Amino acid sequence: MDCPTCEAMVDAYVDGELSARDSVEFEAALAICTDCRQRLEAARTMSGLLRGLPADPAPDLLRARIERELRAIAGRPHERARERMRWAAVAASLIVAVGLGWLGGNLTGQGGRQSDEMIAGYLRVAMAETPVDVASSDRHTVKPWFVGRIDYAPPVHDLTAQGFPLLGGRLDVVDGRKVAVLVYRRNQHRLALTVWPAATAGNTSPDITVRDGFALARWRHAGFEMRAVSDLAPAEMGSFATALDKAADSGS
Amino acid sequence: MGLMSDAPEPDGRTPDNRTVERFRIVVLPHLDSAYGFARWLARDPVAAQDLAQESLLRALRYFHAFRGEEARPWLLRIVRNTWTDMRTRYAAESESLETVENQVAAGPDPEQSAEAGERRRHVAAALAALPAEVREVLVLREIEDLSYKQIAGVLDLPIGTVMSRLARAREKLAAELRGRLGRRDHGLSDL
Ligand SMILES: [Zn+2]
Repeated sequence: MDCPTCEAMVDAYVDGELSARDSVEFEAALAICTDCRQRLEAARTMSGLLRGLPADPAPDLLRARIERELRAIAGRPHERARERMRWAAVAASLIVAVGLGWLGGNLTGQGGRQSDEMIAGYLRVAMAETPVDVASSDRHTVKPWFVGRIDYAPPVHDLTAQGFPLLGGRLDVVDGRKVAVLVYRRNQHRLALTVWPAATAGNTSPDITVRDGFALARWRHAGFEMRAVSDLAPAEMGSFATALDKAADSGS
Repeated sequence: MGLMSDAPEPDGRTPDNRTVERFRIVVLPHLDSAYGFARWLARDPVAAQDLAQESLLRALRYFHAFRGEEARPWLLRIVRNTWTDMRTRYAAESESLETVENQVAAGPDPEQSAEAGERRRHVAAALAALPAEVREVLVLREIEDLSYKQIAGVLDLPIGTVMSRLARAREKLAAELRGRLGRRDHGLSDL
């Protein structure tokens, strides 16, 4: 406890802020002072714990919103715009078109925010070169992929026979929560289905709306909230929902 | 520095195309970092997005004042100042810390054991529970990996104050963690 080195130097040593000379002095103290060694060990443990926290990258939608602002100020980005920037720009313009008043940090109107987030997520699915994190038409591959990545097991069904082959799955963030997204295909179109456990019981029939050329469907079935986005015609979106519900009920 | 105000640029200039292009190259790559810092300041993913967006726009507005120093601490300073201005708006809606815990718990890390996930959740909750003044300094050091000098710049404090706050932050975090984690089971007996 009488060692002045413990108090004064442990943090700075761990932080790499000691001069070469002070480091030498501290390391010499380590050899003879138990307190110093213990403090150093504790400081390193804590640093390791903090640095082990997962870092969430900026969400796609945030990028899209910023991209929209930059384009509003400066017009189109320069020649070699990357693929990522291109979809971000499209998401941005679509959000403008949807016109739900993003700016201003309004936390109310959750429904609007949710739809926007899902449209942004869909655009990534629709336009990215690799639209899924796990690419497989086999539901026995896709379903286990989510284990340990989100805190529920999403229902995964193969609807190839009904004309909607499964492409795979990915993670997204909606309203700050990590959710499962399943990606299906219909001819040339992709469909993104976001699924999470329902807080309310009972099934509802799909409510299908069209926004800016996108069909949005929301319904609840077998304990899950379902949100589907695609550039399909509304009737086809209806067929998808029906096919999915049937598959869920028959357990296929 | 004038970052605290929403007033238009002193010289009334709108950033031109070239400025925006430079901004894309110099500042935009640090968006992840700005968002990460915003997450720990706001402790809410939705507020963090608003904060990060507002900060980037302010950074663009003041980019003409950027003198070629390190871009990341410069941007983080703007995030911090923007948060000072925004926090009152969110104070009324400040949520429980549960969200932070759940966020971290849900991280995509299949390699990690359930126990490690559980421990990380506690660490995140303990960090989130720290008073803002010591939380921000710890986040800048351990998560953003800034030097004392860079932190002093972001928080506009003397280096000595950075060091004393950091020491206080670590003490408080250790106490918080001891309360949350069993000492022996988690190898944290030294904290
Ligand atoms: Zn000592």
